[in-house]
Amino acid sequence: MPFIKEIEKYRSLSIVGLEKNTGKTECLNYVLSRLSGSNKQIALTSIGVDGENTDAVTKTHKPEIEVYEGMIFVTSEMHYQKKKLVAEVLDVSTQSTSLGRLVTAKAKSSDKVIISGPADSMAIKDLIAQMNKFDVDITLVDGALSRKSLGSPAVTDAMILATGAALSANIPQLVYKTKYIYDLISIKAVDEEIKDCLLPIQKGVWAIDNEGNLTDLKIESVLLIEKAKDRLFKKGNRIFVNGAITDKFLNFLKVQKQIKDIEIIVRDFTRIFASPETFYAFIKRGGRIKVLQKTKLIAVCINPVSPDGYCLNSDDLKQALEEKLNLPVYNVRELSGH
Amino acid sequence: MKLRTAISQVKGLHYLMESMQLQSSLGKRYLLDTYMMYQANEINQELDLVERTYTIREGKKAGLISKIQTKLMQVRDIKGSLKNIQSNSILDDIELFEIKSFALVSNAILKLQNEFETTLIEIPDLNHVISILDPENNSVPSFYIYDAYSKDLAITRKKIQELKAARKLDPEMDLGAKLDILENKAAEIEAEVRTQVCENIYPYSNDLEKALNQVAHLDVIIAKAILADNMAFTRAQISESTTEYKAMFHPQIKEALALSNKKFQAIDIKLNQSVCFITGANMAGKTVILKTLALCQYLLQFGFFVPAQSAHIALVNRILVSVGDDQSEQNGLSSFASEMVKINEMVEASINKENVLVLVDELARTTNPTEGRAIVNAVAEIFNENNTLSVITTHYSGLNKTCRKLRVKGLDKEFKPGEINKNNINDYMDYALVEDDASWVPHEALRIAEILGINQQIIEKANKNLLAKS
Repeated sequence: MPFIKEIEKYRSLSIVGLEKNTGKTECLNYVLSRLSGSNKQIALTSIGVDGENTDAVTKTHKPEIEVYEGMIFVTSEMHYQKKKLVAEVLDVSTQSTSLGRLVTAKAKSSDKVIISGPADSMAIKDLIAQMNKFDVDITLVDGALSRKSLGSPAVTDAMILATGAALSANIPQLVYKTKYIYDLISIKAVDEEIKDCLLPIQKGVWAIDNEGNLTDLKIESVLLIEKAKDRLFKKGNRIFVNGAITDKFLNFLKVQKQIKDIEIIVRDFTRIFASPETFYAFIKRGGRIKVLQKTKLIAVCINPVSPDGYCLNSDDLKQALEEKLNLPVYNVRELSGH
Repeated sequence: MKLRTAISQVKGLHYLMESMQLQSSLGKRYLLDTYMMYQANEINQELDLVERTYTIREGKKAGLISKIQTKLMQVRDIKGSLKNIQSNSILDDIELFEIKSFALVSNAILKLQNEFETTLIEIPDLNHVISILDPENNSVPSFYIYDAYSKDLAITRKKIQELKAARKLDPEMDLGAKLDILENKAAEIEAEVRTQVCENIYPYSNDLEKALNQVAHLDVIIAKAILADNMAFTRAQISESTTEYKAMFHPQIKEALALSNKKFQAIDIKLNQSVCFITGANMAGKTVILKTLALCQYLLQFGFFVPAQSAHIALVNRILVSVGDDQSEQNGLSSFASEMVKINEMVEASINKENVLVLVDELARTTNPTEGRAIVNAVAEIFNENNTLSVITTHYSGLNKTCRKLRVKGLDKEFKPGEINKNNINDYMDYALVEDDASWVPHEALRIAEILGINQQIIEKANKNLLAKS
């Protein structure tokens, strides 16, 4: 029973696809089917809308999410009405999403459900915390890694990554891209003390001096770094950036003479939008980067089939990834015997 | 007037609403939809409730109030679902869940209230509604079309489960249309049950509505009592003629001063059914007095305690305020024109002998002093003739002698030059009001300007001008 025992150690787990059609939903269904036998109380939700019948972009078949009797699931009012299974309403949120209020329900029979959830990180965090009320042991989050998404799956304690031919049809390229995300997820977290100070800050660029004092550098965004170059290092080399980290910003830092003393802090790994080349170059020059919220990657799932029908050799891909990542890699299709 | 409207006009009121510990969004809506009250018995009824809650919180059963508050936190506003019941439509599971969870928490509050000597607010017992929605007697706030509603449904659901389980074991198995037929049947029975459940609930729609209102009212009463306690408010007595405050204060300014370790000097003021001038130096708190008077009047007539040590307040039908800090440019009028429009409304109310409270800050200050003084005296005369409860602050001297005058004591303590600056001026200012029959007003503008540290040239030149005149 691979990685299920590992999952049971965490309070929350997100399952994230590196690209559409990398087998995230199948992976989620696999995890759910294995957890259905455990005596832990499971809850399931999603970041934004997910679980549509067919993929809206490529029109390929997309498996729905199977919820098992006894599991708790959170979905929007609209999708709740469409459900086929028998379920008991436990709660209705006061706040509304674009698809109506969020309904928390307990499945009284097993069937497929369309799961949609809150759209932003704070709301997901709150939701996971609220699951305590219903004695939930593990909350699973159907997540997305998208620049368009306000919700970051990094708010969960643990993560499973789904990757596959949809990301790249070339094994070395696929491994390189996946390894990059793996490296981002592995970025070290800051000390708890600093974390508590910085977490509530929702915008801006801040400097942290050696005594731990915070100064707002009055820089709206590092996207405008050109205009604020002179101010950036006024209060020291440790900088907390609330928004996105881009190529431009890392390239700017890379050429500073004190590069070895520079430490950048970001909210979580999803805020790094830089290309792998730039990121690695920054690290190589001695720059350091840390995150406030760190999640633990516990496994990688692969889907060797791409949406246009191209199929990679599953064993080769698995082996190549395992060598690079030092993590268990699974082909969920093979595991669930399809 | 609804409180919602009053809040948008009176800043101090908005601040107090924000400070209130309302536990439910339901309570908040109820409060904002409260109408201003004009009848003494109506106001006293509400104040009685607040006072009783206030007393309970000081006694042995204070814990019960916190327990009720915890329950109030769980109350959801089921206005939408209630509307559907009242129009006899069929409710979905989510709406039925809302009704059930409300009924459960409402009954829990009812039970807690029974522990008081007498009930604070009557809430209808919703036991019947609960038993309709809780066929398995779990008393848990959750809902679905339970198997217990229909044997047929239970059997059909079981068959569906069995079929699905069989298919899981043998994915090749051909179920044909069997599963579909069963699922349709289950859906049909569910619909029948839902209709029946709703029909059983319809007769209780009035009870539900009443409970919803009363629970909201309870939330408001408790929040009012806590506000009164936290801010040291008192219950005002409703008076027939004079309005009199002992140690009246402005809660928002008091709190702001407390933050910088300063004290708000509460003041006493007595108003008759006629006009009253308030004179005094700049920075002597005249505007604050007007704002506090308006705030207190609104608070009382919306059923709150008021910020004072004691208060006797005459009820009015309208409160008319002109405090010149509104955006007159926006409607294209000069500050003088927009003031005159407001004053006109007040004067007309006065001539019509309306029962109003009129508060005017520095009447006609934006025009020349000669005409300004004439306008002030004319307006005051009209208010006086018509016995209009009104307060006018002014810097003009030569005021009508027949009108009552109060003066802020101001900077009457001895102090050395340079001892006072703009940061400590509040400590030297005596904000108390005294009766005054002199025809002159305090001339302290230059002294205060000097304390504020404005350019010395202005002071010197102004003094020279004054000397030249006399």
